[in-house]
Amino acid sequence: MRRTTEVLVVGGGSTGCGIARDLATRGVDVTLVEKGNLTHGTTGRMHGLLHSGGRYAVSDRASARECIEENDVLRDIAAHCVEETGGLFVKRPEDEESYFEEKLAGCRACDIPAEVLSGAEAREREPYLATDIEKAIAVPDAAIDPFRLCVANAADAADHGARVATHAEVTDVLVEAGEVVGVEVRHGDGPRKATTEVGATERITADHVVNATGAWAGQLGAMAGVDIAVRPSKGVMTVMNTRQVDTVVNRCRPKGDADIVVPHETACILGTTDEEVDDPEDYPEERWEVDLLVEQLAELLPILREARTLRSFWGVRPLYEPPGTGTEDPTDITRDFFLLDHADRDGLPGMTSIVGGKLTTYRLMAEDITDHVCEKLGVSASCTTADKSLPGSDDIRDLHDRMDEFGLRSPVSRRSAQRLGSRADEVLDVDGPNPVVCECEAVTRAEVRDAIDGAGRDLNAVRLRTRAAMGTCQGGFCCHRMAAELESEFDASEARASLDELYQERWKGQRHACWGEQLSQAMLNHMLHATTMNRDGDPARLDDDIDFGAFDGGDAWP
Amino acid sequence: MTGHDDSDPEDEEYHPAPGVPRLGRDEQEAVYGPDYTVDPPEDGIDPVSRAAATGAADSEPDVAPDGGTSATGGDLDPDDYDAVDVFDTGALDLRDGSDSCYKCTSCDTSCPVAEVDDSFPGPKFQGPEQWRLKRKEDADIDPSITDCSNCMRCDSACPSSVPLSQMHNEARGEYVDEQMEKLSTEYVRNRILSNYRFFAAIASKTPRLANFVTGLSVTQWAGEKLLGITGEREFPDFAEETFREWWRKRGGARVENPEKRVAYFHGCYANYNTPEVGKAMVRVYESFGYEVMVPPQQCSGTPMFANGMLDDARRHAETNVEELARAIGEGADVIASCTSCSLSLRQEYPELFDLHGIEDVAEHTFEALEYLRIHEDLRGELADAELGGESFAYHAPCHARNQGLARQAIETFADVDGVAVEDVGDSCSGISGTYGWKAEKYETSMTIGAEMFEHMEAAAGEVGMTECPTCAMQMEHGTGYEVKHPLQVLEAAVVD
Amino acid sequence: MAIASDVLVVGGGLAGATAALAAAREGADVRLVSHKQSTLSQASGLVDVLGYVPHTRAEADDDPTATPTAGRTGIRDRPDPEGPLVDPFAAVDRLPEGHPYRLVGVDALRAGLELFDDAVDGYRGGHTDRNALVPTFGGTVKPTARYPESVAAGLASDARPMLVVGFRSLTDFDARQVAARLEATGVPFPVAGVEVAFPAAFRDDAAVTRVARALDRDEAIDGTPARRALAAAVEPHLDAVEGGAARVGFPAFLGDDAAPTVRAELADHLGADVFEIPMGPPSLPGLRLEDRLYAALEDAGVRYETGNPVVGRELADGTDGGDGASGRVEALLVDRTGTEVPYAAEAVVLATGGLVGKGIHSDREGVREPVLGCHVPHPAERYEWYVDDALGDQPYARFGVDTDDRLRPLDADGAVQFPNVRVAGATLGGADVAREKSASGVSLATGLVAGREAAAEVSR
Repeated sequence: MRRTTEVLVVGGGSTGCGIARDLATRGVDVTLVEKGNLTHGTTGRMHGLLHSGGRYAVSDRASARECIEENDVLRDIAAHCVEETGGLFVKRPEDEESYFEEKLAGCRACDIPAEVLSGAEAREREPYLATDIEKAIAVPDAAIDPFRLCVANAADAADHGARVATHAEVTDVLVEAGEVVGVEVRHGDGPRKATTEVGATERITADHVVNATGAWAGQLGAMAGVDIAVRPSKGVMTVMNTRQVDTVVNRCRPKGDADIVVPHETACILGTTDEEVDDPEDYPEERWEVDLLVEQLAELLPILREARTLRSFWGVRPLYEPPGTGTEDPTDITRDFFLLDHADRDGLPGMTSIVGGKLTTYRLMAEDITDHVCEKLGVSASCTTADKSLPGSDDIRDLHDRMDEFGLRSPVSRRSAQRLGSRADEVLDVDGPNPVVCECEAVTRAEVRDAIDGAGRDLNAVRLRTRAAMGTCQGGFCCHRMAAELESEFDASEARASLDELYQERWKGQRHACWGEQLSQAMLNHMLHATTMNRDGDPARLDDDIDFGAFDGGDAWP
Repeated sequence: MTGHDDSDPEDEEYHPAPGVPRLGRDEQEAVYGPDYTVDPPEDGIDPVSRAAATGAADSEPDVAPDGGTSATGGDLDPDDYDAVDVFDTGALDLRDGSDSCYKCTSCDTSCPVAEVDDSFPGPKFQGPEQWRLKRKEDADIDPSITDCSNCMRCDSACPSSVPLSQMHNEARGEYVDEQMEKLSTEYVRNRILSNYRFFAAIASKTPRLANFVTGLSVTQWAGEKLLGITGEREFPDFAEETFREWWRKRGGARVENPEKRVAYFHGCYANYNTPEVGKAMVRVYESFGYEVMVPPQQCSGTPMFANGMLDDARRHAETNVEELARAIGEGADVIASCTSCSLSLRQEYPELFDLHGIEDVAEHTFEALEYLRIHEDLRGELADAELGGESFAYHAPCHARNQGLARQAIETFADVDGVAVEDVGDSCSGISGTYGWKAEKYETSMTIGAEMFEHMEAAAGEVGMTECPTCAMQMEHGTGYEVKHPLQVLEAAVVD
Repeated sequence: MAIASDVLVVGGGLAGATAALAAAREGADVRLVSHKQSTLSQASGLVDVLGYVPHTRAEADDDPTATPTAGRTGIRDRPDPEGPLVDPFAAVDRLPEGHPYRLVGVDALRAGLELFDDAVDGYRGGHTDRNALVPTFGGTVKPTARYPESVAAGLASDARPMLVVGFRSLTDFDARQVAARLEATGVPFPVAGVEVAFPAAFRDDAAVTRVARALDRDEAIDGTPARRALAAAVEPHLDAVEGGAARVGFPAFLGDDAAPTVRAELADHLGADVFEIPMGPPSLPGLRLEDRLYAALEDAGVRYETGNPVVGRELADGTDGGDGASGRVEALLVDRTGTEVPYAAEAVVLATGGLVGKGIHSDREGVREPVLGCHVPHPAERYEWYVDDALGDQPYARFGVDTDDRLRPLDADGAVQFPNVRVAGATLGGADVAREKSASGVSLATGLVAGREAAAEVSR
């Protein structure tokens, strides 16, 4: 029977996108479905650390080795997604010397370049480090932008013939004659699709289904009738307004909460906690977690105590351990990944799940499962994903020199180029005015429109691609500007709905930052949107009609 | 905050691991770092580190510790130090200045340059936005930084106290150091204009000759063609006798009073060009019973900040701080008659330099009229004064605004018989020190000043009044009015 | 003491200026000090008194004491507010009891408006108690009591066909979206939106003051005087709206000092009335209002200075009294780069603004008023300062100082903290000015009462 596609990948996170890319570049016809935007799940809610492996050097050397290898690969193929910040493991007086030694030895054993720095040398590199930090280990941690990474993987997959469908939620896994034959999806509101209507359902049949849904693996498995015991565990991340550090700063002590600060774009991200939750979509976001991050990390960087936070968000780790392992503490669960062939495991051919793992090793995970699936399909092509650059990461060396051509101020063109990589030319070369839409993050109209082309009217997706609304004002000044850019393709009420969604989404994270300057910002935003724009009293949305004639029509001038 | 030898900035001992960037936060060398050796702190710990260690981390982690004793003998208050200026070998990192910004754009609406020149992005972009977008390896400031006149109006507009002019000064210094070609006409010209004091000192040795030469149209022509100094303006005249010469000849102070001492910071202009202002200051203060000191001093640095010449400014600051701190130690407060000098000593000094005693100097510096308003019954003294029926058109210098002095002259003379002082509005005069002297900025400076000229002409008075020497130049240039300093009017009112 | 006055007003916004004027009119010697330029430059320039009685938490299911969750996104059916109100004065009684309007009374509000109408030129709307509905750049309409002349031709109750003009280099709104949204609100006039290319001669990021100046001085844009150039860019589009545009709405940048002339000339060229659509920060109408208020202060003989912050107080015993102190305030300490200079006064008006104007500060520990140390009631639990619905009944929007009906600040026990101090404007608690659309009215009403009260203190 002819199937719709050869391989259906469910899940648009780093793993899913990586799998789609690998399969597509090997010539397999692949369809990827994702219920939200790309990186809707864990990938979109992490601190952006490209591991050197240092964090696993003591507890999980296998993971550590994988990390450093993939770290090298990603710097190569995803250059425009990676900022080479370097990393430090810093030791405070109360941290154990023996652990420091173990960490160092572990790094060396895993071939992770490591160098010991004195406290003063560490402070030379990062002046805001606390004085009583005694010493540090320097490792090649880096910062990675997960959104850009996934979008690039998906773009490469699409370039090789893959179909990438976002806002397509799997509502059922189709099982016929004891075999998985495909899925049923429901198309939500996403990019304008010529062929698909909002709310329409679609049957997609495939030779093989890959379950790359991370924290939702169990839910998808249940639709197929198999049990996958994912143990979702939440962790908070707090976004600072500026970069207090330009290097990844880890605390050199056994794994625990609040021990890392990662520079990310214009900000830095504090992380994290580790609390098991029942539902990966709904779990408490608690104040003690935010306060813990600030208090504990202020021991490494005292300035954090007074510095401005923009928001906090939570991610849910899709931890998995084989049944019977019985680990109690989520921090002890392995971060290793597992490939679950349901034919072997559950007597249900046609589907493989991939669970566990981390962003840094996504490509390796994808290679593993792609090898596995290709074998099943009889495809002999081998993996090339480690050797080929992702779109946007091609030759960007002379990019900087050409940026003057676009008539933008240097910092604006620099940031745009950093985001767009080798696509900068193509995107920024526009006719007509190209004003800046998001001033905090230096995002021009051209970049926003390019993102709208890719993501449709979902302004949150546009935000993820461009960083618009992710800066100091958290969208207060640019949410409506982004909505104004929808005009050419969407009607005004759709644009208004998108604006409301974006504004509310921005509030969701800011409510955790409601003090100090951010509270003043929130009030200013509130005044702008409620008073000056009157969005809360928008007559188009209130039930009662206005009797315009009852108001002052200006007819009797004094 | 250095681990290796402070006295050797080229320390080769330091080898980073692969993949780990080499230098500290900003890759550039110190912008204003001293070109002499810095004495390493005695205990070998840098001030920032000491700060965090002394438990200041509990309350104010960003403050430096006790830096020693102040000139007046008390302990220097750690709370007075601002974290960002204790880096003594690295360029300042002002990214966290953008924490205060909530994007209201008030600064842009107060910017006189942005109002007339659309190629200038305005203080919001130039300051918090540009800084926040910087990463460690980024080393390009937008060239539009040179369009900023350093009028500092943005500071007084910002409701959140974002350190705007500090960010601009620092970015400008970085730009000049890293991106401006040192052999270019622009750089040389800016250096000359910034170091006015140097040339004025030479010229004042033979004032008549100097005036003759600068008055020649060929000089003005050459200035413009060769250096880019506008030929549209007339160079100021040098006085026959400098203020300091006058002071020496008169035998110094004529009032002795260790309880009421002031140290006069006259500034370059009052010394070389308008000593009558300095004389007025001395006479007025002596009539109030003050013992006036005139310590050795150099340029306050205002023109250097505006041109990004932070090394030059620092050199002069070292002398100024040393001398003024000594005077403060002898019980004096520092008085400046030029509002740019007083602003520089009070704000830019502690923001940009970390010299010992600089906070003390900032705290003890006042503008001339301001000090009398606070400490004397100026209103009472003036109540019986009667002047000759003069009408003045008063312009508040932008730099006076940040010190809260914009309405001071109006208020002081409001109740005095025989004098009317009218405020010509809150626009910028446009010249902004060296800015209006640059050939390529001349038109802009006149466009900015147009509103002030119009208001002056509409005002009843035919004589201008202002505290700032370059504003005075501009006022005269645009309207032909003679311009006086409020001290001169005060002198006429209270000195017999 | 060297620097002294009868009444010292701290804060130079609408409330502070109103208090200063009110006190001056009672014959007091008034000094106004402000640290920075006021937040009027951020506000739209409209004078709103009361536009809505918004829903409160009791009606919605927004519980600030509930722990936030990832799944609770805050988007839900929000109960409609009552409004837009035609008659703001009649609705005051339906506001919560601690609201400043309830404290000072409707008469004070009327008196405040009267003072405004008298002191400030160029505003309309005083001929009626009814609110006017003004188009916003968000594409809605909003109720306001007074509006500048530049806005007058754009009122939504006026039935004439309207053309909304946007500019390609201006990102704040898309004129076509605004027109479509206005239509959706049911306005009684045909409306269309158009984007034009003027001002092409300016860089995309030119400041709004740049464009205003070009129009003020009618600068040549590629050889054509700016006003004519702007009209020429718009003129071809007048027929985009059904019936031909009788009035044309522009973003609010139509000049500063010469704004009336600019509008008149544009109207002349276009053969249609011209009006401005007020916008958020930066706001030219807000700046113009600020200029007019300060001209009024000068005329009234109020001495004002901006640039230095008030950093402390001196009570009757010459000390600041420590945390939680109360008593008569004898002087306020103004910081002059490290030296604290006392400014003595018989009465003080505190009008330093709220969270936006920086009269109310917060940190992770709490919320406070930094100048005098007045008590600011707020939940001890920080996570009770907000609700999930971004545009809902936010507790933080009501933070401020509580006072008695004479605007004297109350301490944590409800006793008068500083008997010779009056609090006005956004520094006061109890009003959700953002959703009520009442910010200016609160400033005027309480500014007036504070000023009169302060002047009365002096004669005591």
